[in-house]
Formats: sequence, structure tokens, C-alpha cells
Amino acid sequence: MVDAMKAQRWLRGVVGTIALSAIVFSATTVVVREGQAVLITRFGRPLRAATQPGLHWKLPWPIDGAITLDMRRRVYETGQAEMLTRDKKNVIARTFVVWRIGDPLTFTQAIGNEAGAEDKLDGLLTNAAIGTLGGHDLSALVSTDPSDLQMDQIESELLASTAPLALRSYGVNVEQVRLERLALPEENVTAVFDQMRAERRQFAAKYQAEGQQEASKIRSQADLDAAEIRAKGTEEQARIRGESAAQVAKIYADAHRIDPELYRFTRSLDSLTKLVTGNTSLILRTDSEPFSLLEGKDKK
Amino acid sequence: MRRAGAPSEIARLTAPIVALLDWAWQRMHWWVALMALLYALSGITIVKPDEVAVVLRWGRLVGDTPALQQHGPGLLFAFPRPIDEVVRVQVKHVWEVPVSTLAPASAFAKDYTNMGQDTLNPLTQGYALTGDQNIVQADMVARYRVSDPAEWAFYGPKAEDVLRVEVTAAMVRSLGEMGVDRVLSDGRKTLVALATRRAQIGLDASHSGLELSSLELTRLAPPPALVSDFDAVQSTFIDAQTLQNEAQAYAQSAIPQAQADADAAIQSAHADADSELATAQGDASAFRALEREYRANPTVIRERLYRDAIEKAIGSAAVRWVPPPPGGNYHGFRVSISPPRAGERPRRSTPPTSEDEDDEDERGTPP
Repeated sequence: MVDAMKAQRWLRGVVGTIALSAIVFSATTVVVREGQAVLITRFGRPLRAATQPGLHWKLPWPIDGAITLDMRRRVYETGQAEMLTRDKKNVIARTFVVWRIGDPLTFTQAIGNEAGAEDKLDGLLTNAAIGTLGGHDLSALVSTDPSDLQMDQIESELLASTAPLALRSYGVNVEQVRLERLALPEENVTAVFDQMRAERRQFAAKYQAEGQQEASKIRSQADLDAAEIRAKGTEEQARIRGESAAQVAKIYADAHRIDPELYRFTRSLDSLTKLVTGNTSLILRTDSEPFSLLEGKDKK
Repeated sequence: MRRAGAPSEIARLTAPIVALLDWAWQRMHWWVALMALLYALSGITIVKPDEVAVVLRWGRLVGDTPALQQHGPGLLFAFPRPIDEVVRVQVKHVWEVPVSTLAPASAFAKDYTNMGQDTLNPLTQGYALTGDQNIVQADMVARYRVSDPAEWAFYGPKAEDVLRVEVTAAMVRSLGEMGVDRVLSDGRKTLVALATRRAQIGLDASHSGLELSSLELTRLAPPPALVSDFDAVQSTFIDAQTLQNEAQAYAQSAIPQAQADADAAIQSAHADADSELATAQGDASAFRALEREYRANPTVIRERLYRDAIEKAIGSAAVRWVPPPPGGNYHGFRVSISPPRAGERPRRSTPPTSEDEDDEDERGTPP
């Protein structure tokens, strides 16, 4: 019975101590989570910022207070603002920033919340963009010639003209400034459309002319090639014919050289039979050979 | 008195609470012990197959390197809150976000095409400028996944925000480097690759902890008001191609045709030559044979040849017999020949010749 009483008392003491120390612990420490910072205030006045994640000491309420700040990066897009490039072209540009709270103390004192920061950033960025783009031609932003483009330079200029000021004045750490969109004022778009149309028509005309030219080139080349091939064929044909005629002539000449007189005789007989055809009428005297036989006479 | 009095006062004040606790403990100590145990085990977490978990101890990330920070799927032992906090992140899942910042606003686009208005309002209509200062409109879908869970979970900007602006900026910049004809035709792949690379660089620079798995250009076209002009160029181009193809086809048939003609000419020449040669050789050998015979027997052969020829000639010709004149003297005998339609009337020709040979249609009568 006494032992049970003792054990109960010991247990009571342990539980009480744990509870008490938990209360003290939670009152005198503050947990800074990853992605957050805690601003410790003494009687409402910002004292210091705990930016490292982990446990941090503070005096218990009501002496010290803790304000938790979101340290995540945020994206802010500015409004679309019309500006003039160095070559006096109107463009509408929109930039975006990636920012986070850089100095919790300054941020809380100067701005206080996210919406306020974005208001300040908008003005800062628009001014920076107007200034920076005014120092560059439009071809630094859009061009098919890579040597004209200066986007990296423009973006680093934008960053350089906003980041130090934003950190110093508002405690905002501007990590990136980028040109998000580039457009033209509505009244200039019409001119661009006209120009695009004219360009399209030019292209169409060019394609048509090129196509026709190319096609007729192909055709005439083909005709030329074909004529050349045919001419070669004709030439070959003539050569073969000539050679054969020569051979034939030689064969005949070789044969006839044996007896030219006989050749002349056979040749004239051939001519005779060739010349006298079914359409030929011959009027002959019957006293000539062999018809003299008809008259019963002997030949001459 | 004071030493004894003070505790007794506290004891008196806390007596009902202590009595209540004692009573509760005696009744429910098993339950309380069970609750305490459950609390102690509440930090144990199951990490699902497509997840990675990171542990925060007193708010700070446990582990120095990403490999040590991240815990894969399975059972994860951690202390209960508020000591440890387990944050689970889906890293394998690919999320999809449409990016329509450079696309025409659908409602407005309809108005514009209907009205045929020749401009675009930059505030309501998305578009971008190409390197040759043409206007194109693009609609994109970005697919991404979490590549660095800790960075994404604690420091990264909102995934949808950062993707929209980074992808837009990357596309605007990439379009601004290329000509409109290139991006609308064969340069499209290059454009997407360039924009994807740029967007990823941007995502890394803004510590988003995101990886762009793919960037899809669902639509890339000139503004509706200009579509017909672009189509016309396209169709002209195709027509020109057709014209060239037809010419090619013509060339491909004309040349073999010419070749065939040439071959035929050569073949016929060869054939003619062969036959002429054969004839010549035949004639030559016939002549030689004849000559051999002739040399042996000139008179007979000559006579035979002569008679054969005469027979053949007379045999093939139309022969009319003209009876000899009275007395058989042909001297002064005349034969007149007239065409058959001139009638039967004979004519006489005056010059006296002893022999007449004529090859005309004849009608001969004695005088």
C-alpha cells in the first residue's frame, strides 16, 4: 500500500515535470521551418530575424513575440506597359521577377506584406524596363541575326537596375528579371499585318516564278538531252550505213574486177529486166530475134 | 509555520485536481499509456511508391546532401510532432499545365475573325513577334515533374506560376530569334527544343525544383486575319512543286524515249547493213560462179544469159503483135501510139525509121 502510494507520487512528479518543461520550452523557443523566417519582436518592436531553420531562443510572452514570414520565392508579372526603343519603335513589354524576402526586418518595416511588395516591384520594374529598352533597338529583342540580339544583356541590365534598390529599400531580394512578353500597340499591328500580307504575296510570286522556271529548265534540258541522244543515234546509224555501203561496194568491186566486161554485160541485162515491167509495152519487129522464128526466117 | 503553511495551502488548493487525476489514472491508466504510445509512434510514415519524403527536425531539413535528405518509398521512422515533420512529395507524377499566354483569347478571337478586324489588342490577345517581326500565335502545354523535392516544397515558387512565365519567356525569346517561315515549317522542332532548353534554364535559375519533361506546341499559326494569305503561299508552293514534278516526269519519259528511238535507228541500220552485206556476198559469189562457167564456155553462157533476159523482159511486158507490112519490108513502116481514151483512130507519124521501140500504151495498126 505504501509502495503503491510512493510509485504514484513518483509518477505524478515525472508527469508534472514533463508538462512544466514542455510549457517552458514552447514559451522560450521558436521553431523556424525551412522556407520560413521568424521575426522576433520585443514588446512589438522588431528585434531580430531568425532566418536559419531550426530552434531559436526567445523570451516568453508577453516580452517577445514571433512573426512568421514566408521566405519562398515568388513570381510576379508586371502589367503590360508601352515603351519606346532607341530606334523610336513603340513596343508593349511585360516583365516578370522571381523574388523572395531578402531582409525580413526591412521588408516588414517598409512593406509588410506580399501585395505591397508587388506594388513596389511593379513600379520599379516598369521604370527599369522603360529605361533599359530605351537604350536598345528593337532588333536587340527580335531579330533573325543572332549578332543583333542582346536579350541576356537587357535582362542583366534590368536586374542590375532593380535588385540593389529593391533590397536596400524594401528588403526584397530580386533574383531574376526577365522579359516575358513583347507585343506591339494595337494601331501598329495593322501596319505589321499589311507588311506580312505583302511579304506573303512576294513569296507566292517568287515560288510561282521559281517553279515555272525550274520546270521549264527541266523540260528544256530533257528535250536537249533527248535530241542529243537521237542525234547520236542518227550519227551511229549513218556510220553503220556508210561502213556497210563501203563493204558492199568492196565486195562487188572485188568480184567484178575478175571480169569487168562480163559484169557490164550482166548488169545491162539486169537493167533490161528491171526496166521492162508489166506496164511496159514493147513494139518489136518480127524479123528480129527470136521472133524471126515466127516468120520462118533464120536469124540474121 | 510559514514553511508548513505554504505547502499545505498549495496542497489544499490542488487537492481536488490531484484527486481527479488519481481517480482518472486509477480508472484509465491503460488508456492513457496507450495514447502516449500511439503519440510516440505517430511519426512513423508510409512513403508511397511514387513519392519521396523529407524530414524536418525542429523545422530544419535533416541531411546535408539531397541523397541523405530524401527517403524513398517504404516505412519511414521519425519522431512525433512537433519534433519531426515528414513532408511527402510526388516526384514521379508528371503534371500538365496549359500555357495560353501567347494564344488568342478564344472569345475575342471569334469576335475578331467575325469582324475581320485587322489588328490585335495586346491586352486581350496573346501573340509573339518572330525574328523578322511577323506576328504568330502559339498555344502550349507544359509537362513537368518535381526534380528536387526539398527545394520545390520549401523554397520554390508556385509551380504553375513559374512554369507559365518561364515557358512564355522562353518561347517569346526563341520565336524572336527565328524567321516566321522557319518556325511555321521545318524550324518548329528546333523552336520547341530551344524553348524547352531555355525554360529549363529559367526553372533552374528560379530554384523551382521542377523539371520540364516536355513542352508541346499544340498550335502555332499566324493570326486568323492572315491565315488565308499564308495558305495561299503554301498552295502556290505546292503548285510550283507539282509543276516541277510534272517536268521531271516528262524528262524521265522523254530521255528513255529518245534512247529507244536511237537504239531502234541503230538496230535497223545494223539489220540493213547485214542484209545488204549478205546480198552483196551472195551476188558476188554468184558472179564468181558465173564467171568460172563463162570462162570455160563464153559464147554459150553469153547467149543463154542474153536469151534469159530477153525472155524475162518480153514475158513480163504487155506484148502486142504488129503484123509485118506487106512485102516484109519495114522500111518506112510507122506505128502511131495514142492513149486509149483518144479513141480507136490511128495516127501516123512522118519520120521514117526502121526500128521503133517505145514504152507507152500502144495501139498499133499498119498503114
